[in-house]
Amino acid sequence: MRPQIILRYVGIVLLFNALFLLISASISAVNSDSGLFPLLYSAVVTAMLGVFPLIFVPPTEHIFNDEGLTIVISGWILSSVIGALPYIMWGGPFTITNAWFESVSGFTTTGSSILANIEALPLGLLFWRSTTHWIGGIGIVVFMLAVVPATGQSAMVLYKSEISSLAADNFQHRTKKTLQILLVVYVGLTVLETIFLMLAGMNGFDALTHSFSTIATGGFSTKNSSIAFFNSPAIESVIIVFMILSGIHFGLIFVAVTDKPIRLWKSSIVRYYLCALAVGILLITFNIYGDIYETVSGALRFAAFQVVSLATSTGFANADSSYWPGFSKLVLIFFTLQCACAGSTSGGIKVDRTLIFWKSFIRQFRKLRHPKAVVSIRLDGAVIDPGIIEAGLLYIALYLIVVFISSLILTGMGVDLMSAFSGSAAAMGNVGPGFGMVSSLSNFSEIPAMGKWVLSIVMLLGRLEIFGLLMLIFYRFIR
Amino acid sequence: MKIRKKISLGFVILSIMLAVAGVFSIYELMEVGTSVQNLLDDNYNSINAGKQMIEALEKEDSGLMLLLSGQWKEGRETIRDADRQFQQALQTAGTNLTIPGEPDLVDRIRIRYMDFSRLWDRPIVGTDFEGNLKWYSTDVHSAFKDVKEAVQELIDLNDRVMYETATDLKSGAHRAVMPGIIAFASALVFTFIFNFFLQIYIVRPIITIIDGIQRFLETNKPVRVTIDTRDELQDLATSVSDLMYMARISK
Repeated sequence: MRPQIILRYVGIVLLFNALFLLISASISAVNSDSGLFPLLYSAVVTAMLGVFPLIFVPPTEHIFNDEGLTIVISGWILSSVIGALPYIMWGGPFTITNAWFESVSGFTTTGSSILANIEALPLGLLFWRSTTHWIGGIGIVVFMLAVVPATGQSAMVLYKSEISSLAADNFQHRTKKTLQILLVVYVGLTVLETIFLMLAGMNGFDALTHSFSTIATGGFSTKNSSIAFFNSPAIESVIIVFMILSGIHFGLIFVAVTDKPIRLWKSSIVRYYLCALAVGILLITFNIYGDIYETVSGALRFAAFQVVSLATSTGFANADSSYWPGFSKLVLIFFTLQCACAGSTSGGIKVDRTLIFWKSFIRQFRKLRHPKAVVSIRLDGAVIDPGIIEAGLLYIALYLIVVFISSLILTGMGVDLMSAFSGSAAAMGNVGPGFGMVSSLSNFSEIPAMGKWVLSIVMLLGRLEIFGLLMLIFYRFIR
Repeated sequence: MKIRKKISLGFVILSIMLAVAGVFSIYELMEVGTSVQNLLDDNYNSINAGKQMIEALEKEDSGLMLLLSGQWKEGRETIRDADRQFQQALQTAGTNLTIPGEPDLVDRIRIRYMDFSRLWDRPIVGTDFEGNLKWYSTDVHSAFKDVKEAVQELIDLNDRVMYETATDLKSGAHRAVMPGIIAFASALVFTFIFNFFLQIYIVRPIITIIDGIQRFLETNKPVRVTIDTRDELQDLATSVSDLMYMARISK
């Protein structure tokens, strides 16, 4: 492994962050708020640290796989460190732990916050908060590769290290074309949602920041009571549509828009994803209708928003679901674990793996009946490689183990079981809110400092799909 | 890029980081200084004026009690001194209107004080009011309470703003210190990376060139010294390789 090459590419990632810090600082400058100097100074420090390796290290055509992986993981961790700087400098509720938690939560698109009063933050910092979602949503390195023209094989190695293995297999194009598709869909959805939100009555700033959060499936809002603040069915409808779209494989959206829209429905993964959402919404609507909401339309409105929000790992809220019955909470926890499709900005186990799990389950039944039969698993007519099935099932097992260990540690610190488990599942799935003291209209400020560090690691594990971070930590042993 | 330029740029970056940290710290400290001055000018003076007014009101109340008990001279003197003190304090508060809502409060104090002063301006000793405790408890005391409440509101408003300013001061002090701490931490990281780059791109190529020359001297065979630094050291390595090759040919 060549540390200088890693430093060069991480430097580019830092420069990329510095650019967005500068944009946030300019918003503070226009608004003359107290976020200007923290943002500006963070931009200067980040730019200086980023540009330095470029002076010494010449560009390289080839990057090894382990170098690619290290660049991606270091990029995430250093971005989170840099992202915490403006919070630390601004002060207020941001201790080092809180600033780190907020930054990791932003970049990993988790959307969990330690802020009790979000509206007290200056506009520049609020913009930076949403920007961390937008940078992290598509993947810091993928974003960098899509914008900065990288040459040769290095782009491919970095791209493969960053993107989910399931998503990478589903893209049928060369790296450059894939990056272009990702960027076009990502920016296109963001622009469209901003326009629709403004038409629905939001001001420009709120529309843009909420679009950043929606398309990245993040969940940071500029309001203390999240989307409930607007109390607008029109705004909620726009956000629901874009949350659903952000949970679909970007390659499929691109094909649906540029070629045949029916291709979207032909994908069994998308069909399962949409059907699961519909079933979830119906179950919760009937569960909360009557006792909690007097009208079916009211129950449907809140059920639809909360289900889509958690099932796409966004985490916005238009109601406090912690007061809903246990059945509804369990349905929401299922969606918190499963989340949306690979190749989207969503986190969690992902629909693709869940579908593989159910198909493996059925195959096992068939094998019990016909022990000598060769039963293969097919998705959209294609036989799935046994290696992918094994990796998928192993991922689900590891995923649940991490959630269990995190819950165990949090309960050991005195956090109640519901808050610990739902908080851990929400952090691992990069969803955001859980139940109990970390519910949709609450925040993570009451979690002990050590617990926040644990949850930050869990968020990173979830965003890097476990193996990436573990491989870096145990690099020497695995070798 | 030339070696000199690389090293110079490294130091330029370090200097920029430290200079910007210094500028930001100085700016924030100046802001803290200005806030302290504003705190004293705007809030402390108004709070002090409010306290003076309450003290004057208490004296006027005592003067009224003296008048009610028939002590005309002592009563009038006490009220005259207290009125002077109140008017001075009210003028201070009136010329120090810096908080939204403060002008309305000062106006309210002025109006209520006029109502109150009308009660003790009239002759009391030797009239029906002398010894009239009922008049005191119904008219005088309620007017006195009204003025006092308005003054207290002014004090509370300034107290609250002073607390907010003090909190801002704390944040300002925090913002003044943080650039220094971050610059220190960044400079440390920077120094480690700089040292690493010097090792990789300056020291190591020189060792490679020396090794190449040593091998040539030992084996008398030209050695291709390969370095990828894209600076004078790479040119030097190419020249050394050419020199060894030419030396071999000339032999």
